[in-house]
Amino acid sequence: MCEQDVLIGYLYDDLADADRVAFEAHLRGCAACHEELKALRSVRVDLRAWTAPETDLDFRVVRGPSQTGHVLRVPVPTWRAWYTPAAGLAAAAVLVLAAASAVAHVELHRGPDGLTVRTGWSAVTAPPAETVSAARPVSAGGPATVDLSRRTPAASDVRLASSSAVDAAFLKELERRLSALESSSRDSGMRNASTLSARAADAEIIRRVRELVSESEGRQKGELAFRIAQVLRDVDAQRVADLSRIQQGLGRIDATVTAEAASHRDLTNYILTSARQK
Amino acid sequence: MSPVAKASTDEELVARSRTGDLDSFNQLVLRWERPIYALAYRTIGREEEARDVCQETFLRAYRALGGFKGEAKFSSWIYRITLNLCRDWIRRERRQPIAQAPEGVDLLELASESTPSESIEDLVARKEISAAVARVMADLPEEQRTAILLKEYHGLTFQEIADLQDCPLSTVKTRLYQGLSVLRRQLERSGVAKPGFASPAVRKSHV
Repeated sequence: MCEQDVLIGYLYDDLADADRVAFEAHLRGCAACHEELKALRSVRVDLRAWTAPETDLDFRVVRGPSQTGHVLRVPVPTWRAWYTPAAGLAAAAVLVLAAASAVAHVELHRGPDGLTVRTGWSAVTAPPAETVSAARPVSAGGPATVDLSRRTPAASDVRLASSSAVDAAFLKELERRLSALESSSRDSGMRNASTLSARAADAEIIRRVRELVSESEGRQKGELAFRIAQVLRDVDAQRVADLSRIQQGLGRIDATVTAEAASHRDLTNYILTSARQK
Repeated sequence: MSPVAKASTDEELVARSRTGDLDSFNQLVLRWERPIYALAYRTIGREEEARDVCQETFLRAYRALGGFKGEAKFSSWIYRITLNLCRDWIRRERRQPIAQAPEGVDLLELASESTPSESIEDLVARKEISAAVARVMADLPEEQRTAILLKEYHGLTFQEIADLQDCPLSTVKTRLYQGLSVLRRQLERSGVAKPGFASPAVRKSHV
């Protein structure tokens, strides 16, 4: 082993005992190595200051429907409002899924942390389906596509504006899809009277989804307001802290000035007294 | 990072994932997304792209799980995927990784990051050091940078790094030595490395 290797091994505490003892003995007599080790340790301390920015990741893999064109990665905060107590919604989602895959590739996925809505209309972020289905490791179950849905940070104040714009577009598009869904279910109902009850169920689901969408919108506005309030509060707290710091500083300066003035007065008095005595 | 007590090991989760258990795979994602993101961020220096690389890493890992026979640790395996994706990104962009050095210091942001034991002054100093480190690291040759990242921030052994970089053990040490030496010179030149700036995290010298 050359000296560099030993130095690095020692730096990272990864030397065989014998090597370490030998190197420590060497260090005692070698100022250059000693100096270098110290410098490299200092670099390691500096390296520790470099942190990756805090960010909400929360990636997860969800299984997509078979044969749909695209699967969209949905930033979940948009749909966090979809937390819903409705027990029948899972069943409803399945119904929507069935109806949607025929019409619009709208899919509701109910996961442990809420609902994910996926559609076929976003070509920008959606990975092509064929790349997904190519190497499918799943042994059980039917054909599966894979998708990672990603949550963008809800707490990012700067990003809020743009994300709410996206949300608005998303909601609008969803609305349009729902109308299409509605009209198509009406059409199919006209063609076949036996689907009448199914049609009624569809209408009910669509109504529910609409409700949820508007609810989600409302909650998002609420969240935005909440975030803004939070930022304002932070700013305010910081300002108060700064003011008190300034106050403290001024207080210190004041005390110093007073003390100095007092000593000046003493000095003047002393000079006057001694002058009078003379 | 160490898994939570009584949680399944990576190997157990991998085995279950291979039978199509999506929840198990998502546990692996949850366990490793932060280190993977950090590695990608420090390699390419951009937050958004690092997120994309992180996401793509797990997507690829999931698709390729059938081919993962456990010959390496799961973490090493996904680190390799991440590093390959980062390399692809850098080549595609035909540019050096760009360190996102903050222009000014955002007091609000700082205040939210400060720990009770850390003064604002210390925090500003830490930010300056951080920005300088990011700049200098971005200028290092890729192999040296990667070796340092894996050693310093992910605690891999020399052997694990050698396996990941497909090079002999001694080459890893040489890369670390050369990279750290460049860092030392550049940081001293930029004046942020303060000799004697000690941290409890670094083992005290025996000599």
